[in-house]
Amino acid sequence: MRGFPTGGRLKVILPCLVLLVLALLPLAEPSPNMVKVIFITALWTTTSLAWNLLGGFAGQVSFGFAVFYGLGAYTAALMINEGATPWIAFLAAGAVAAIASFLIGLPTFRLRGPYFAIATIGVNEAFRVVMNNVDFTGGASGYRVTEAGPFRQLEHYYTALTLVTLAVVVSSLIASSKFGLALRAIKQDQDAAAAVGVNPYLGKLWVHAIAAALTGMAGGVFARYALFIYPGGVFSFQTSISILLMPVIGGIGTVWGAVFGGIIFGVVEEQLVAKFPNIHLLLYGLLLMLIILFEPDGLMGLLRRAAKLFRRRREDSGSSNPDQVLWGSGRAAGREL
Amino acid sequence: MKNLSQLRAALCRLVALVIVTGALGVVPAAAQGASSGDAITVGVVMPITGREAKPGQYQKEGIELAIKQINDAGGIMVKDKGKKLLIKEVFYDDGSDSAKSAALAERVMSSDNATAVIGGYSTALGEAESVMPDRYQTPWLTAGAAATSIFSRGYKYTFGVLSPIKLLGVTTAEFLGSLVDQGKLKKGLKIALVVENTDHGVDYVNGIQEWIKAHPGYFEVVLSEKFELGGTDFSGLLQKVKTSRADIFLSDAHLQDYITMQRQYLQAGLHHQVISYGARGPESDARKALGAGTDYILAALWWSDKLPYAQAQKFITDYKAMYNRGPDSWYAATAYDAMRILAQSIEAAGTLKKDKIRDQLAKAQLKGSLLPGQVLSFGPNGQAGYPFLVVQNKPGDKTDIVYPKDAATGAAVAPIP
Amino acid sequence: MTAVDYINLLISSLLLAGIYAAMAVGMTVIYGVMKIVNLAHAGFLMLGAYFAYELFDRFHLHPMLCAALALPVFFVFGMAVHWLLVRWLPKSDTPTLASLLLMFGFWQVLQNIGNLVWGTQAYSILTPLTISSVRWGEISVPKVSLVVFAAAAASLVLLRFVFNYSWFGRSMRSLIQNPYAAQIVGVDDRRTAMLSFGLGTAFAGFAGALLATLFPFTPDFGASFQLRAFVIIVLGGLESVSGVALGALILALLETFSINLPFPWYSHGWTKVYLPASYQPAVSFVLLVVALLVLPRGVAGLLERKWRTA
Repeated sequence: MRGFPTGGRLKVILPCLVLLVLALLPLAEPSPNMVKVIFITALWTTTSLAWNLLGGFAGQVSFGFAVFYGLGAYTAALMINEGATPWIAFLAAGAVAAIASFLIGLPTFRLRGPYFAIATIGVNEAFRVVMNNVDFTGGASGYRVTEAGPFRQLEHYYTALTLVTLAVVVSSLIASSKFGLALRAIKQDQDAAAAVGVNPYLGKLWVHAIAAALTGMAGGVFARYALFIYPGGVFSFQTSISILLMPVIGGIGTVWGAVFGGIIFGVVEEQLVAKFPNIHLLLYGLLLMLIILFEPDGLMGLLRRAAKLFRRRREDSGSSNPDQVLWGSGRAAGREL
Repeated sequence: MKNLSQLRAALCRLVALVIVTGALGVVPAAAQGASSGDAITVGVVMPITGREAKPGQYQKEGIELAIKQINDAGGIMVKDKGKKLLIKEVFYDDGSDSAKSAALAERVMSSDNATAVIGGYSTALGEAESVMPDRYQTPWLTAGAAATSIFSRGYKYTFGVLSPIKLLGVTTAEFLGSLVDQGKLKKGLKIALVVENTDHGVDYVNGIQEWIKAHPGYFEVVLSEKFELGGTDFSGLLQKVKTSRADIFLSDAHLQDYITMQRQYLQAGLHHQVISYGARGPESDARKALGAGTDYILAALWWSDKLPYAQAQKFITDYKAMYNRGPDSWYAATAYDAMRILAQSIEAAGTLKKDKIRDQLAKAQLKGSLLPGQVLSFGPNGQAGYPFLVVQNKPGDKTDIVYPKDAATGAAVAPIP
Repeated sequence: MTAVDYINLLISSLLLAGIYAAMAVGMTVIYGVMKIVNLAHAGFLMLGAYFAYELFDRFHLHPMLCAALALPVFFVFGMAVHWLLVRWLPKSDTPTLASLLLMFGFWQVLQNIGNLVWGTQAYSILTPLTISSVRWGEISVPKVSLVVFAAAAASLVLLRFVFNYSWFGRSMRSLIQNPYAAQIVGVDDRRTAMLSFGLGTAFAGFAGALLATLFPFTPDFGASFQLRAFVIIVLGGLESVSGVALGALILALLETFSINLPFPWYSHGWTKVYLPASYQPAVSFVLLVVALLVLPRGVAGLLERKWRTA
């Protein structure tokens, strides 16, 4: 396939191996809690990859992805309660989120940089307040899902794994396509990109829609597992922050950075929530600050630098071929986040 | 990033951070393996930090008092093990966050293998937890969540020790109606209803409205508004109350919102003939914070330390001995009885099999209960239903039971002077 | 609604506007001079509140004195934060995402430190003053609000004085208007930036201390105020303190009246409908988005443009 990473088969084989291990894990009879941790991690990683499409590839930092997560969760919940099969519910969840992303993006993509970010905060909170007051979804009391049939944890597990694999595949395909190139152009200089024939407005809208669809589906899968969702949880600003933190900490702009960030986040969240509920903000805040100050390419960037040190490879010229988008291109001159 | 040593330093710092966070994740997971062995694992998921920290703390204390008393007597007799087993409590703090509450309830039921779980202080947290018991087929009792929506889902493993909120609303309205009959209040007074935006609030409004419809001519509702939990600024809402020209102010709030709202109520110079905050009123935190500003507030409660039952007085004495202060309002008492009825059901089941314990809970009757009526049992939907008490704060940090008549320790003062 | 009700609402809006203005001006200064969207503003508000609480609780100082003390303490704290963190950010004449995310991270850290030190329960500063109010007939105004308004207004007047008549103020204004030209005429942008950050933080701490006397606070209580601060900046523009006051007034009026005034609504005929009080938070958020889209230079900029073309 054109553009697929050629430098090192390892980069393709390693993730496939990991996926295989995860798929076969249930044979080793893990504890239900471990299955849950992996399930939640997979969902978080999906949202991380989705955010990375807009924020990492196209450079538009959005603080409002919880809107799509929540819309997806509620859509799926409503449909499952009406008797729809879960798969249809998840697809519908993605579709609703994508439509919402158009409605939100149409006005807000006229704003640049931090103004767009602040506007998304406003949209997020407005949605939450409205959802708190809408009666037919239960308002602030939340909404319950009642699904007939016994609870099969592994079914949810495999659904989440499928979703995260889909997200990785979509991200990789975009990264190595002409669309991905256009996005990177928009990120570096929107006006220059427009001058060479890219339509930044449309590009942003489309990638926003794809990101929203993935996030919405993740929300739907979550709703089916949790059985109880409420606006203060799925529409909260805290959720938006979490979705944003993962790719930034892991390595913004790179597919595996987003995955890495998602994994760290999911595991730490689930384990910390029981034992040390009080330090995760500190942790993420510190990591974020250190990364902005010292290594904007996130943990992935650091690992790559370490790899370079130990292997003493020649410095890349800084060209951005798809391989580097997947694995990180380092600090190209003049690049801001 | 100018030179190699600077890079290495930063690299080491970040890698160290990653390792530490990973270790934080792995070590607790490894240290878990919590199968009971020779004890009965009872999970307790309560908020002791966050918005509901105080009541959550009190409920935890009530449960632990009961566990201590049971363990001191040797434990619970489990027939098919042939001996008495001690209770082992596994406690998680959900930080007043619904999502965490559900996740922790799931964890304690699945990985910690709890035989039963007591949890869910406040309807918001209880609703989140209530989806887990049927999934893991583990009995779950709540001494702090009373909205009917939890128990109207056909769940088999949820049990509520608190009488329904709707009945709380009906009792409040009934009491106000009795004041009208006594001539203390005029007929046709206007009521402003300001409730929290949860099922708790919704049930309260339904209860009041139901009574009013059944007794036309007594009262008229002129304002019905909801507010978000944990709000800081109710001045806009209270403005609306002012312009509605209501005579009676009825609110349904949890402790933190009660204190905040009453404070802003006083600041706005509002005055009504009757004030009530649902199931909040005599809490010592509120009394300390607002002093005389909380006088004459009515509350409909599930228990009061003024109840004349011998077992209630014994409970107060034991509680004081263990915690060096008296029980605050009703929180600890209901949790105490929740643990006791659970223990009784486990003993009656004669086994640690959760479905048998569940069957016993469904038909359990705790005689010598602290709660009004002195017998605790669960209705067909899993929720208990015993009468409420109405108490009124009196000046000088006193509280009186004012309703029902046969339990009253003082007369109701209405309208508020 | 009677005339008395309107007057009550107007008075509350005014008092609210005062505290909003004091709260927003800190963020405005930093944003104007350094083009940094200071998301840690919420953290400084929170620290100001706890600072006042600790002084009040331990040393029994009058809350207003605590607030006044917050000014110098937070000024120094702000300069320290600038020296440690902010000066490493790349300079720019438009806000950068790096600055946004850095301050955001710092806010999270501050919030967590607040959680660890003081826990997540709500604290409040309660004095006998807290629940007393001044009454003229049917109009009643809480005494605390009056005192806070006076303090906020005084601080704004002081700031305006500094802004318009001091050398430091002129440096700040010139950097706000055109950073490159300012450097050409000799303004030391590094030092002015540090002092401005200190000043902005000082006002954030001061406003937080004032807010502590009005509302209960937890470590995350800055969030809603911060968003309002940004609305005020967008509405009021950056050029002057009066712009901030104008923006604060508009926001306060809109928030208070939006849920108390009837709107015509068509549902089986025209009826009057009141917005439920629980929608009140959404007012500022919607206003934010609208203002960002429609008024890039704020209401003040709009007025200015009209005058210029005349």
